[in-house]
Amino acid sequence: MSLLELRDLSVHYQGARGEVTAVRSVSLALEAGRTLGLAGESGCGKSTVAMSVLRLLPRNARVEGQVLLDGEDVQTMSWGRLRAVRWAAASVVFQGAMHALNPVHRVGEQIAEPMRLHGVTGSVSELLDQVELPARAARAYPHELSGGQKQRVMIAMALACAPRLVIADEPTTALDVVVQAQVLDVLKRLVSERDIGLVMISHDLSVLASTCDRLAVMRNGEIVEEGPAREVIASPTHPHTQALAAAFPTVGDPASRHVTPADAEPSGAADRPVLLRAEGLRVDYGSTKAVAGVDLEVRAGEIVALVGQSGSGKTTLARTLLGLQRPTAGRVLFEGAELPRSASGLRAYRRQVQLVLQDPTSALNPRHSVYEAVAEGLRIHRVDGDEAERVAEALSHAELRPPELFFSSLPHELSGGQRQRVVIAGALALGPRLLIADEPVASLDASVRGEILALLLRLRRDLGLAALVITHDLGLAWTIADRVAVMYRGELVEQGTVEQVLLSPQHEYTRTLLAAVPHHGVPEPDRTGTP
Amino acid sequence: MTAIVWQRRRATAGATWREFASQRSGLVGLVGLAVIGVLAVLAPFVTDQSGLDVTRLTASPWEPPSSSNWLGTDHNGRSVLLLTWWGTRISLVVGLAATVLSVLIGTVVGITAAHFGGWVSAVLMRFTDFFLVLPSLVLAIALSTVLPRGLGTIVLAIGVTSWPATARLVRAQTLAVEARPFIERARALGGGHGHVIGRHVLPAVLPLVFVNTTLTVASAIVAESTLSFLGLGDPTRVSWGSLLHAANMHGAVSQRAWWFLIPPGLGVVCVVLAFTLCGRALETVLNPRLKGER
Amino acid sequence: MIRHLAGKVGGALVSLLFVVALGFLLFRVIPGDPVVAMTRGRPVTGDQLAELRARLGVDKPLDEQFVDYLTAALRGDFGTSYVYSRPVMELIGERMWPTILLTGTATVLAVVLGLWLGIRGAWRRGSRSDRISTGAALAQWAMPTFWLGMLLSLATGDLFPSGGMRYPDTPPDFLSQALDVAHHMVLPCLTMIAVVYAQYLLVMRSSLLEEMHADYLTTARAKGLRDDLVRRRHAVPNALLPTVTLVFLHLGLVVSGAITVETVFSWPGLGLLTYEALTGPDLPLLQGTFVVLAGAVITMNVFADLLYRVLDPRVRAS
Repeated sequence: MSLLELRDLSVHYQGARGEVTAVRSVSLALEAGRTLGLAGESGCGKSTVAMSVLRLLPRNARVEGQVLLDGEDVQTMSWGRLRAVRWAAASVVFQGAMHALNPVHRVGEQIAEPMRLHGVTGSVSELLDQVELPARAARAYPHELSGGQKQRVMIAMALACAPRLVIADEPTTALDVVVQAQVLDVLKRLVSERDIGLVMISHDLSVLASTCDRLAVMRNGEIVEEGPAREVIASPTHPHTQALAAAFPTVGDPASRHVTPADAEPSGAADRPVLLRAEGLRVDYGSTKAVAGVDLEVRAGEIVALVGQSGSGKTTLARTLLGLQRPTAGRVLFEGAELPRSASGLRAYRRQVQLVLQDPTSALNPRHSVYEAVAEGLRIHRVDGDEAERVAEALSHAELRPPELFFSSLPHELSGGQRQRVVIAGALALGPRLLIADEPVASLDASVRGEILALLLRLRRDLGLAALVITHDLGLAWTIADRVAVMYRGELVEQGTVEQVLLSPQHEYTRTLLAAVPHHGVPEPDRTGTP
Repeated sequence: MTAIVWQRRRATAGATWREFASQRSGLVGLVGLAVIGVLAVLAPFVTDQSGLDVTRLTASPWEPPSSSNWLGTDHNGRSVLLLTWWGTRISLVVGLAATVLSVLIGTVVGITAAHFGGWVSAVLMRFTDFFLVLPSLVLAIALSTVLPRGLGTIVLAIGVTSWPATARLVRAQTLAVEARPFIERARALGGGHGHVIGRHVLPAVLPLVFVNTTLTVASAIVAESTLSFLGLGDPTRVSWGSLLHAANMHGAVSQRAWWFLIPPGLGVVCVVLAFTLCGRALETVLNPRLKGER
Repeated sequence: MIRHLAGKVGGALVSLLFVVALGFLLFRVIPGDPVVAMTRGRPVTGDQLAELRARLGVDKPLDEQFVDYLTAALRGDFGTSYVYSRPVMELIGERMWPTILLTGTATVLAVVLGLWLGIRGAWRRGSRSDRISTGAALAQWAMPTFWLGMLLSLATGDLFPSGGMRYPDTPPDFLSQALDVAHHMVLPCLTMIAVVYAQYLLVMRSSLLEEMHADYLTTARAKGLRDDLVRRRHAVPNALLPTVTLVFLHLGLVVSGAITVETVFSWPGLGLLTYEALTGPDLPLLQGTFVVLAGAVITMNVFADLLYRVLDPRVRAS
């Protein structure tokens, strides 16, 4: 008998606009001690599947089909039986441990709570030890722990009643690559040690590839592809799976490098004029040094990737380059001239250098139509000429065609990728020479990432637009950049062409980053060289 | 191009109205307000003002309700119905005027404190917090005691003591809006203070200010009636509070003159409740955080 | 923690100083000539006015007056009441206890009632009982306090005394005295509770509703907790935090309630004293009650802030 079996499961949500089907006839099975990955983009219904296993769906959900836990249908259990099964037979590692832990209770209490409730004997410190946390962490409140530590607490909590099944819903999203790798290792080790069945849910195929035996890919509530993880990733048959796999490029794999030698080196990068240069740039916030002495160059028509983990100071650096933040020391030069300090001087500078933000949903005022959003810059700068014509031109450069169709749309009516195109169009309307893009695809669904990156490459080719792309994702740098700069604790620890930095990294930190990236399919490039 | 914008705005207004209208309590409040407003405006046209003049009275004092005086008479023999009707006008005018003053101060202080930051913000916030904690009625009593009695005084006393709540709300909302990346984008596009406030902050803050206004009117009307009840109102005009002041002074309770006590108080309750219901319904529609709650 | 405490207390002291200064501004500067304001509508001779001015010290230049006022105020001296011809602070000290008794009792009962009904309402939102209790709260919130007091007094007839704090002919033993005071306190207390609890109910209800969709509640349910445990152990402790702050922030409401309720029921406390002072107008006395009432609310807010620190671990650590 399977540990968990979903038979023809469908979930419908009763909403204001009628019934919406989130999950459509999903059938899956998991044997004890095995791991199953459930992949898909946001809104594909994967979290609904997870919630239905313990009947945790909101009241407006209607469930059809069967959810069998050890052969017993969860849907028909009495409340008492259900409460007894919850956490003791199956537990959940929730997404975003930030909110899944109660902020006013100590984490030790929260781990012990289900043990007391289900009458299980065990020790909190032992559990904490297993997730590699010190015993004194039990006395901490959630806000005193880092993201990775909180996620470990969640894992310890999930194991508290020694369940046979654990469901992990995006357990590593919002964590840094290095921390993500550590958390995944803990999870993998515990699952194999304790012979637990694991259902792992993620949007990131590479995460699943490194943890799971089997893989199911969901789209619009349906499973489009299922099979052994290795096979699904190495030779995806469904186009959606292919798009997902392509969105997590492997560093070193020529197939995922989209910069052609032709546009990378038309006449040797060194010949092109320097557009933007930072010299000895430092930004302090009080006693913290966000940026600690950075020298960086972006040449005309060049794409530079600035890579670093969150908190490395890369966003502060971007804001300083844009003149949104005054440097504590050092200077920024644009075409050899120092950045003006006056309001009007800065305004003129902003026609040359534009910003693309991480999350297009919040980067657009929800009350402004696409037309207003794109025309905003033109109005601020009182640009002459036909406004509508310029807006249309910017939109078509951003590949929103025909542009007139989008004029009156509001941001919430667009998809994530379209929104990011509107943000890019808003920047293009001013005819800038350089785009500074802060994590331009991090909040987008995997399948549209590739399109936005392709757009950046095309803009470079067609308009000669240079770009400084800030990212935590080495794969992204590998895909589109000419040069890479690695930032760590406010400093640039390594700089060079993509091939130099990513294939033969010199600095310790770059190597750690590369080692933490989950990889799949293709043979790994040699990373074992000693420093 | 403006055609598109206006079409969009009309559609939004329509949607907001439909959502508001789907809440029964909000509609009840709105209808109640409309009725009271019409009554207040019509008073001089359909009633005889001379009935308010103590020197020209026909009825005797403390008459219980009868066919000639539906709601009985007060200690002077004036019709309580007529007094209450006319009292509506002063209560509404004072409530609305004080609210306008209060919301204006609150909005300006709130946006300034949030947008500019630095020491200006620190000083303004300290100032707001100080007044927020201060019991506003005590302050209003002090103000209206030392200033000459009159409508202006009572409006001023209520207006300058009730703004801190608005200021805090507006400040919080402004901070929330300014933390959103689209403000950063507007700055990166080259927008200055005027642009950011005018195009992004105000449109996002005003709906909340509007909601807050309806709720502030409610408390301003209660404040008016309280001050008048304590004898601090305009002695030459009739308001609900001054009627209750008279009732208390002349022993309506010991006279068991329920007909003199109930109507003015009921007036206050109806208007305040109507404004509150409208405000809460609007809040559910306009405050996205509350959608689907309550 | 200590530093924060010192900061808070320091801030409160500055605020208190502000209140004292505001008292000067309100009662000495704004009225122009306070003596004229106080004797408005009464026949007085020029000599009497001059004598009164000298007694209040308002014949000196303003800056000198301010220094005199401030040094006296810091010693706890707010001058002499014009109506009672007794030191203001002595009067306030006498009248303080009835107010503390009345507002204390009413606030405690209102908090208990309001929080209980608020929690119930939020947990079963939209149910019949929720709609009724929220509707009643809104209606009571819309009611002017004094009007409700008058109605109650009208409705109960001779069941409860209509005013004062005790009958003069009650035997002097403690029990009879206490019962007599309690008997007198029923109506004023009920009036205050009715108006104040509504605020607490609405605040508690909406802050619990905000916690309702928190992810940690899903975690708690997934652990197998019963619904009432999820509520009691997880949702309510979180929702209580904002409520505590708001309860204290609305203490001003209690103070204004005290003024009108004491006026209606002739309860011999600070509220009635304020009313007596404003009808005079007895400006030195009103100044005294203003400073004391505002000061009390500021002090209570410092306590609220400290209590919040004890309750919320997130703030405690920072």
